[in-house]
Amino acid sequence: MISQFFVLSQRGDNIVFRDYRGDVQKSSAEIFFRKVKFWKEDGDEEAPPVFNVDGVNYFHVKVVGLLFVATTRANVSPSLVLELLQRIARVIKDYLGVLNEDSFRKNFVLVYELLDEVIDFGYAQTTSTEVLKSSVFNEPIMVDAGRLPPLGPASIFMQGTKRMPGTAVTKSVVANEPGGRKREEIFVDIIEKISLTFSSSGYILTSEIDGTIQMKSFLTGNPEIRLALNEELSIGRSGRSIYGSRDYSGSSGSGPVILDDCNFHESVHLDSFDVDRTLTLVPPDGEFPVMNYRMTQEFKPPFRINTLIEEAGALKAEVILKIRAEFSPSVTANTIVVQMPLPTYTTRVSFELEPGAVGQMTDFKESNKRLEWGLKKAIFFHKSLKFETAEQNRWWIRSHASCEANILTGIAWYCNITKEAGPVSMTFTIPMYNTSRLQVKYLQIAKKSKTYNPYRWVRYVTQANSYVARI
Amino acid sequence: MSGHDSKYFSTTKKGEIPELKEELNSQYKDKRKDAVKKVIAAMTVGKDVSSLFTDVVNCMQTENLELKKLVYLYLINYAKSQPDLAILAVNTFVKDSQDPNPLIRALAVRTMGCIRVDKITEYLCDPLQRCLKDDDPYVRKTAAICVAKLYDINAELVEDRGFLEALKDLISDNNPMVVANAVAALAEIQDNSSNPIFEITSHTLSKLLTALNECTEWGQVFILDALSKYKAADAREAENIVERVTPRLQHANCAVVLSAVKMILQQMELITSTDVVRNLCKKMAPPLVTLLSAEPEIQYVALRNINLIVQRRPTILAHEIKVFFCKYNDPIYVKMEKLEIMIKLASDRNIDQVLLEFKEYATEVDVDFVRKAVRAIGRCAIKLERAAERCISVLLELIKIKVNYVVQEAIIVIKDIFRRYPNTYESIIATLCESLDTLDEPEAKASMIWIIGEYAERIDNADELLESFLESFPEEPAQVQLQLLTATVKLFLKKPTEGPQQMIQVVLNNATLETDNPDLRDRAYIYWRLLSTDPEAAKDVVLAEKPVISDDSNLLDPSLLDELLANIATLSSVYHKPPDAFVTRVKTTQRTEEDDYPDGSEAGYSESPSHAAGASPPATTSSAPYAAARQPAPAAPAPVPDLLDLMGMDGNNNNVDAIVPVDQPAAPAGLPLPVLLPASVDHGLEISAQLIRRDGQIFYSLLFENKSQVPLDGFLIQFNKNSFGLAAAGPLQVPQLQPGTSARTLLPMVLFQNIAAGPPNTLLQVAVKNNQQPVLYFNDKVSFLVFFTEDGKMERTTFLETWKSLPDSNEVSKDFPGIVVTSVEATLDRLTASNMFFIAKRKHANQEVLYLSAKIPRGTPFLIELTAVIGIPGLKCAIKTPSPEMAPLFFEALEPLLMS
Repeated sequence: MISQFFVLSQRGDNIVFRDYRGDVQKSSAEIFFRKVKFWKEDGDEEAPPVFNVDGVNYFHVKVVGLLFVATTRANVSPSLVLELLQRIARVIKDYLGVLNEDSFRKNFVLVYELLDEVIDFGYAQTTSTEVLKSSVFNEPIMVDAGRLPPLGPASIFMQGTKRMPGTAVTKSVVANEPGGRKREEIFVDIIEKISLTFSSSGYILTSEIDGTIQMKSFLTGNPEIRLALNEELSIGRSGRSIYGSRDYSGSSGSGPVILDDCNFHESVHLDSFDVDRTLTLVPPDGEFPVMNYRMTQEFKPPFRINTLIEEAGALKAEVILKIRAEFSPSVTANTIVVQMPLPTYTTRVSFELEPGAVGQMTDFKESNKRLEWGLKKAIFFHKSLKFETAEQNRWWIRSHASCEANILTGIAWYCNITKEAGPVSMTFTIPMYNTSRLQVKYLQIAKKSKTYNPYRWVRYVTQANSYVARI
Repeated sequence: MSGHDSKYFSTTKKGEIPELKEELNSQYKDKRKDAVKKVIAAMTVGKDVSSLFTDVVNCMQTENLELKKLVYLYLINYAKSQPDLAILAVNTFVKDSQDPNPLIRALAVRTMGCIRVDKITEYLCDPLQRCLKDDDPYVRKTAAICVAKLYDINAELVEDRGFLEALKDLISDNNPMVVANAVAALAEIQDNSSNPIFEITSHTLSKLLTALNECTEWGQVFILDALSKYKAADAREAENIVERVTPRLQHANCAVVLSAVKMILQQMELITSTDVVRNLCKKMAPPLVTLLSAEPEIQYVALRNINLIVQRRPTILAHEIKVFFCKYNDPIYVKMEKLEIMIKLASDRNIDQVLLEFKEYATEVDVDFVRKAVRAIGRCAIKLERAAERCISVLLELIKIKVNYVVQEAIIVIKDIFRRYPNTYESIIATLCESLDTLDEPEAKASMIWIIGEYAERIDNADELLESFLESFPEEPAQVQLQLLTATVKLFLKKPTEGPQQMIQVVLNNATLETDNPDLRDRAYIYWRLLSTDPEAAKDVVLAEKPVISDDSNLLDPSLLDELLANIATLSSVYHKPPDAFVTRVKTTQRTEEDDYPDGSEAGYSESPSHAAGASPPATTSSAPYAAARQPAPAAPAPVPDLLDLMGMDGNNNNVDAIVPVDQPAAPAGLPLPVLLPASVDHGLEISAQLIRRDGQIFYSLLFENKSQVPLDGFLIQFNKNSFGLAAAGPLQVPQLQPGTSARTLLPMVLFQNIAAGPPNTLLQVAVKNNQQPVLYFNDKVSFLVFFTEDGKMERTTFLETWKSLPDSNEVSKDFPGIVVTSVEATLDRLTASNMFFIAKRKHANQEVLYLSAKIPRGTPFLIELTAVIGIPGLKCAIKTPSPEMAPLFFEALEPLLMS
């Protein structure tokens, strides 16, 4: 059981504070914040999510820049507390639409009401928005989401194509639309995060997909829903280990989708899952993951990274980064950022983009000695790029960077630019693209009447989690 | 409700409290509600609004649930500071607990339980009794928790009023939420009571396992955690339980998964069938791995638990090492834990892959992470004998990148590797020595010093290396001082020459007179006494063979591991400390003064405790305490001068047994002489001898050992013709030798007496006789170096002229592929000691080229050119001399000199 729950802003201000048991001093928020801020003298290192100060255990998670914290003196289950903190954040977001200091302050009465129902005497009661609706009476006051930083992976749909209503992400699941009536719609997002490591020779060392099928329902009357997945879907790599075995050479195209492991939301009925790979559920209100899955089956990486680094003179090195997109031209990747740490003694970096490059950004981050190269999605659309005609469905992007090291005399022979730079990492988002080939074949809503035809949105997005090329 | 709540945070210029008071008493409902909101807002930002207590309580009697909740919230906060006024609210509470609306009934009971005022507690009992039997499950589940609240305030009351029985009845409730809360409440009450209150029988077990499937995710955790205390009767029951718990592994909630894992692990201890166990391990692996796809905070908890699980059941994740490879965007606390697990899962099969990862991590930006990666490589070397060599070569590669903290960390682990595999990898010491002057961290310094002391006999310039550290002895941290002390003693015992002798004096002085550190002082005195009373014993103690260390990565004490495993999925498993080490109950200990757990940083990160032990230089544990143990009755502290005296440091003492030779000419110190004539059954006389050069003269240093049964006397010596005309310059002076004794002597030699014809060679044939035995013959090999005279130094110009004047045919060169020059200075020092004098040095590409000169008697010069790359094996030596026929002899002598 937990003793206290509180939310702190980035500056350490108390936004919400609720004491459930009275056995931890009231100054705990201050103690906590000081401890986290100065975890190590240099302030560089992050505090672990669980620690103990003078007999009080502090748990915290970071959600969009806010610190959600719980304290206790007992030997509780830490995963329960951390999971609970995440869920509280999700419930509050369900109610408020957006999660930030402003929305908290405007809705603090509602937040306290929620917290009273979610936790009693430190024991988690329910974190289901659906259940909470029956005992929570305050109405949320909406804040303007326009100028807020996007939240969560689904937020990318806001800037995406026009087909997607931008309000879905920041819409409260309990508040009524200004017009009074709610729009009947349901969102199913297949969000995949890829972790991949290329060796220096371009060989894939490790690869993994963490996927989740996320649902957010705005349907009245909670009708039953059927989600059908790929028929050729198997779970568990029985008898084979992930280690060293890559039996499935067919990385793209067809073939079975093999998940290493998956788990489901408690509302999901798996009665027919083994037979026809369909999930049946009555979606509760609020955003929730229908299914989480993990996969190490080989897949075609969306990007290949090619790095060339060589010494160019005594204290200089030249870096050539090439990226090749390996997906079809109908798909657009956006917000691509390529990063590469350079040796700490690097003083100056100059860049040279390929001729005709559009929408690209280069930067040398002095503070952490990092080379950054950003590409907007526009790059893929410009037909004028000379490489496009040369190789169909593939694009090249080149960037030259040279770095010059100014080294104190005496340690000159220590420096080893080529060995101290790297690895290259990459972040990107590719809407309407999925790497695992896991698909929602259809989304069926139990019909109330013939005219009942709510909006259904099935959206895919692939994001880089840890996408690294060693050099 | 209109407008934004945030407006309640703004204040007006008028006094805030009076204004609020006015509004709270307004006749308008909406105004009152707004006012209460303002009060709550003030309360949350820490303002004291307790003076409004009466006014707020007056708003309590309302049908508006929203307003009622706000007032209750206020009450919970301030009732304790206004206990007398809190009574005013009791009537409303009691009334509300009978309200037709279940939400209000539950709200009343929930809030009353939170008001920790004794007077109110009495009034709570009746409503609670009713609510425990309420028709509505929402009310019952709230009442169940309320029993725990009441127990916390007044345990006797709970027992007297029979609430415990009522609570136990709720375990059979048909609503799973109620069951879950009843279980949670009972578990907490049991925790705080010494009486058996909540014991799980096989009957409750089966009921709870059924409820498990229907519960909310949080309820599932309560039930699983309570059930984990249940001890199954036999393997069959254990298997049954496991079977019913296994589906929980598929839950999306990480807490459910971990609690299920805990339960399964516990029951597995009872299961005897290896097939079942293997099968369960297989089932647990994917969900455990999936935990690593959760948020980093959850990953951290999962990793700390997995760390324990793999210590007990390594097979579960033996094939999953790849999932523990660090991602570049993992927070540092996740990376650190992953490293720990990678070490634990490293095996001969995957070590190449693992090393590749570690090597990559060792070049990352985060210093702590890099250090840990370097240490991880060392720990793998210690753990996996067959991979040790590969690990070491990775470490050497990293050292070559010359990043300061990498080098230091590498030296620390290499010291441990030396302890693990003695006499295997010492060839890399030369490489380590190169980084000597860059060391600035105590642990690295101490480790390096330990290495130098331990291998003093293999490091030719060990004395110089140690001496360089000695200069700053008083300023060094204790760790380094202790190592310096021990290393100097080791050096002295191994090379009892003048240099070390002076060093030991300095160190002992410093460590006894100039320090405030009792550990250092005590150790120094023990050494001192040992050295002065019984040098041989000192050798036995200080240079004793050390026990080989083993891998420390799995070294949680087994009983602690058991306890931690029983506490999987609790904080205990994150801190890796038993619960009683950090759980402090305010009830029993009153306030927060306990310092069971003084340091939060330790809590979060707890470096595997075993490592701390393994990292402290091993010599610390092996020599000093050992020394103390071997010296059971230490003499009463003697005055310092006596000790000095005993050690022969004042130079006036002729104590024969003293390890430090003071009687200069009679017993030349140095390396033991080579045995040339072993004792045999026939004669029983053993002769060791070697030509040496001292004070510009050549001596034959001889050691006679009488191993026969009779005393021997009347020794005579004769040398056969040899290439250099070596002959005795005087009679051999050896006293009568009693059986079992020995005698040393220095026989002065002269050159050019009976020169043998033919090409020069190094053979020296010697004949020795005495009165008791026939003539004994033995052969010796002349080291050419003894002929180099002290006046061999040339002017640069002379050197150049001589070089030019000699025809090229007089130049002879030879390659020594086996010689490594690690330091120009050390090499030069060694050459100078043999009368080869430095003329000049130049650099050619990465090669060092050295020019030296030497002279043999009768003025024959030797011009020497040495070419080598520092640290790389291979030395080229070219000489130019008027007597090129001597060159092979020179090369033959040079090789052992430079071979370290």
